Amino acid sequence: MSGQGNNQESKARPGQRRMAQWTRDYARLPGTPDEYIGPDGAPRAAWTRFFDAFSALSAGDIERRFASADRHLREAGVTYRAPGETADRLWPLSHLPLIIDEADWQQLTTGIAQRAQLFEMILRDLYGEARLVSDGAVPAAAIAGSNEYLRAVCGVKPPGNRYLHFYAADVGRGPDGRWWVLNDRTQAPSGAGYALENRLVLSRAFSNLYKSMNVERVAPFFEAFRDSLRASADRDEPRIGLLTPGAFSETYFEHATLARYLGFLLVEGDDLAVSGDRIHIRTVAGLKRLDVLLRRVDSNFLDPLELDASSHLGVPGLIDVLRKDGVVVANMPGSGVLEARALLGFLPSLCHRLLGETLIMPHIATWWCGQKSAREEVLSRLEDFVIEGAYGRAVPGFSSHAPVLAGELPPADRDRLRQAITDRGIDYVGQELVRLSTTPVWEEGRITPRPFVLRVFAAATPQGWTIMPGGFCRIAEKADARAVSMGDGVRSADVWVVSDKAVASATLLPGADTVRIRRIAGVVPSRAADNLFWLGRYLERAEATLRLIRALGTSTRDPAKGASTALHSVERIQRILVTWDATSQATRTNPARVIAEALQSEEKFGSALSLVRSVQRTASSLRERLSPDAWQIITEMVERLALQVDDDDSIVSAAELTLQELASLAGLAQENMNRAAGWRFLDMGRRAERAINTARFARQFAYDEAGEDDLDVLLTLVDCQITYRSRYLVGPALAPVRDLAVLDPYNPRSVAFQVAALNDHIAALPSLKEHGLIERPQRLAVALQATLTTAEAATLDVKTLFALEQDLLNLADAIGLHYFPHGPNASRPEKLTGLA
Amino acid sequence: MIYDIRHVTTYAYESPVSFARCSLRLEPRTDDGQQLISHAVEIRPRPAERTVRRDFFGTHTESVLIETAHRNLRIDSRSRVSVARLAPGRAAPSPPWERIRDVAFEATSLGPASPVGYVFASSLVPVLAPLTAYAAPSFAPGGGILMGAVDLMRRIRGDFRYDSKATVISTPLKEVFEKRHGVCQDFAHVMIAGLRGLGLPAAYVSGYLRTVPPAGQPRLQGADASHAWVSVWCGAELGWVGFDPTNDLLVENDHIVLSIGRDFSDVSPVDGIIVGSPKQKLNVAVDVLLVE
Repeated sequence: MSGQGNNQESKARPGQRRMAQWTRDYARLPGTPDEYIGPDGAPRAAWTRFFDAFSALSAGDIERRFASADRHLREAGVTYRAPGETADRLWPLSHLPLIIDEADWQQLTTGIAQRAQLFEMILRDLYGEARLVSDGAVPAAAIAGSNEYLRAVCGVKPPGNRYLHFYAADVGRGPDGRWWVLNDRTQAPSGAGYALENRLVLSRAFSNLYKSMNVERVAPFFEAFRDSLRASADRDEPRIGLLTPGAFSETYFEHATLARYLGFLLVEGDDLAVSGDRIHIRTVAGLKRLDVLLRRVDSNFLDPLELDASSHLGVPGLIDVLRKDGVVVANMPGSGVLEARALLGFLPSLCHRLLGETLIMPHIATWWCGQKSAREEVLSRLEDFVIEGAYGRAVPGFSSHAPVLAGELPPADRDRLRQAITDRGIDYVGQELVRLSTTPVWEEGRITPRPFVLRVFAAATPQGWTIMPGGFCRIAEKADARAVSMGDGVRSADVWVVSDKAVASATLLPGADTVRIRRIAGVVPSRAADNLFWLGRYLERAEATLRLIRALGTSTRDPAKGASTALHSVERIQRILVTWDATSQATRTNPARVIAEALQSEEKFGSALSLVRSVQRTASSLRERLSPDAWQIITEMVERLALQVDDDDSIVSAAELTLQELASLAGLAQENMNRAAGWRFLDMGRRAERAINTARFARQFAYDEAGEDDLDVLLTLVDCQITYRSRYLVGPALAPVRDLAVLDPYNPRSVAFQVAALNDHIAALPSLKEHGLIERPQRLAVALQATLTTAEAATLDVKTLFALEQDLLNLADAIGLHYFPHGPNASRPEKLTGLA
Repeated sequence: MIYDIRHVTTYAYESPVSFARCSLRLEPRTDDGQQLISHAVEIRPRPAERTVRRDFFGTHTESVLIETAHRNLRIDSRSRVSVARLAPGRAAPSPPWERIRDVAFEATSLGPASPVGYVFASSLVPVLAPLTAYAAPSFAPGGGILMGAVDLMRRIRGDFRYDSKATVISTPLKEVFEKRHGVCQDFAHVMIAGLRGLGLPAAYVSGYLRTVPPAGQPRLQGADASHAWVSVWCGAELGWVGFDPTNDLLVENDHIVLSIGRDFSDVSPVDGIIVGSPKQKLNVAVDVLLVE
């Protein structure tokens, strides 16, 4: 384009002015290196390139893009929990990426890969012959003190022939300009999923900028990791599970993201069972073998039989399966022992011994007080040290999980620390206080330096260690960033490794020759099926409740219509709402209060608000199976219903808006969800609930003496006004209305239609029993369908309708008992109790 | 001395249990001063699978899988053991306790007999500052490890009340220490925590006491159930020495060692998970008869 040069030139001037404005006050903190400003005082080239492009955007444009990034995070429901909290927090994303030049990155990756390999070698020794210990290269106490030194797996050969599959290091740039290691994560490193999400959000918000910067893609890293896990199994097309502690976990969102992105099954301990010499997953089609388990549960919780007996997160017998080479666990239980800081000081010599190389990455100078000389050194100038626990996160004797700055302790505490180090030096390390580099963050229209910690991820592949180009960056408010966890005031940032040349774009799409065509998408774990079923039921119950609210609201507000809705019909609607615990009591005098309560009550578990919250809660356990669109609608629905509305009109319009959203959710499920077994359970929940509700409505409003006004309400509640009028020219009459609402197999709102659909689903699901008899859900459903097919509207009295409702409830229960984990075949195991 | 030991564990469940996976640690060790002569375990209902291995601590561990529905589980263990052990005198000379600590910290073995495995907190025995402070007066600077541990054992026996109803397995050590009561398991855990707080290696021992005391001596506390005590590493020369804080005794020929670990959770004689009944009634009967 010929005009491009001119265009850029005309933009450059205001852009440069803006940039000068942003950076005017940007100065390195005293004695602290910085990512943007190099050691020579000049901006680093990669950052200059970024800010040049960035400042070409107008101020309004920048704010718009920031806002769009935040909106995406909110809508996608990217959340985390701070330790000890029960509510999800929104993900705080710093709007500027951390930018690292490719050459600089190359150094980092060599160091990380070497470190990962060194750790693998150390683990093989420690859990094998432990020659390093008997030769004195590593003190036994530096290992034995770790809670993660698992005696149960000593001598067990790791299935898949390796301990470490995934490794992460927290790094920062030291005053000498090199990258330093602060912490090693060898157990079950978190953050890769958040890094993925950060990348998605920022690259969308600044798509042109992102493309122009030649940022290395992260997808190939995940692909390599997935392929390597796959290759570690002992059959083709292995089943891989990501073991999560569950929806209450601080990083559950990440578990769901990774499971969805990598195509693994998201499983909890209860979903798994040991059978024979293998781990199996409980599915709606019975037990299915699981080949590889990527764990996000700490080692000690993995097996209540051999490890922490109080754990409900694990699988009883898992360790024994490892002994029998029956499942690959990544990382191998016990790998976390290398996270102990007590080991840091021994790594340089171990590297020489095991790899014959010099350790590339330096770490913060660390004195382990279990050794006499180091202990004396630390005690001689305690004030100069940062004291940390030698093994875990906590400093023994000090309640906070943060490192203890000895110089800042009150004298009494310092004496206590001194005594503790004297008594049990093995529990403590002293670390040098260092200033790590800062990176620019965007604050109120300009940039400011903030300390950060970068987590770098490495995956084992048959060709060696591969490093994710990018990472998970946490930016702290405090000057010492070494203890940054995602808590107050901490933000995360995307990490861009930028190249001078164009980079190859890549996604997780495999080559055509490696994929076998399959039409059934894997297995459905029983727990997921259970959640899907209840999601369907909650959605349908919310819809029915909103229809009741709307019927009540319009009858009171429209004088013309109100006259036609007789008082006893209103009372009947109210009675249903009371029975469903949507409202506390029926009232003649203040119907407005009833609908307000039924719509928005926080206390009533049957209110529309409570029901959509149940929808959200259930959906959050199914994150990996729901589309982002569905999640977005659910979030919006909950947020809007929680906003207080007061008058009748706004209650009715809130109910109507929510009904529309429910309809679009139903549409999404109908049009976009794969028809493999998962969808069937969602639809079964919906059908069962709708059948039950419709039967109940029919009993309440199409009773034997029902008048025209009652029947009119029923037609409204089951959404059949138009069908009825197009079919019958007279006003509502009992038998035709009953037929339409209950028996008509062509009406998608009728009971008969739901039962037919349930029958189709049950017939299509796999059978669990081998004895060839018809199973209970099917027996009930077939019988119901026969009853409905042969019934006549004229004889459909209240008694018959009531019996029908009971049969439908029994059918729903039977489905639950048959397919879900609380069924008789899959109880949660109990511990044997008592001092035996 | 030769003992015949019968250890019968029965669980009665409220509703049928369809599945059980258990670990049994019921075979007495062959160790310094003790020799296993014979051992057999009978289990009802009949297990679908029984496999045996030695765990990290050298304990004979049997994994049992039961797949028949049952309301009662009965584990009947019979052992014959010969014991010939000589305890050091209560005032015998021993290395200064600080020396023991330094040697343990600098150990070059991770093996089950290495003191280093027993100086750290374990799942049921946390290091508690008040408990460490309680133990400290028994260890004057330069004092011998043996005398220190004997003194601590004597004080625990004096300060704590034996009460078989006061605690259950899940009672936290902190509560046991504050209320100053418990059973043999609690006495042992208290002593271990005090020693480890000072950096001293202390292991947990499960085992048995002879049921009928020698003529003229009182019957010992804990003789009709499985018992527990403490083993303290007293330096290379003395090695591991047994202390029974429940009875204020150095362990000799009235004690039979079943297994050794860091705390009860490592040595629990019968442990497992079942599918079915949350309500269980446990009965343990132990008989230890002197054969000759």
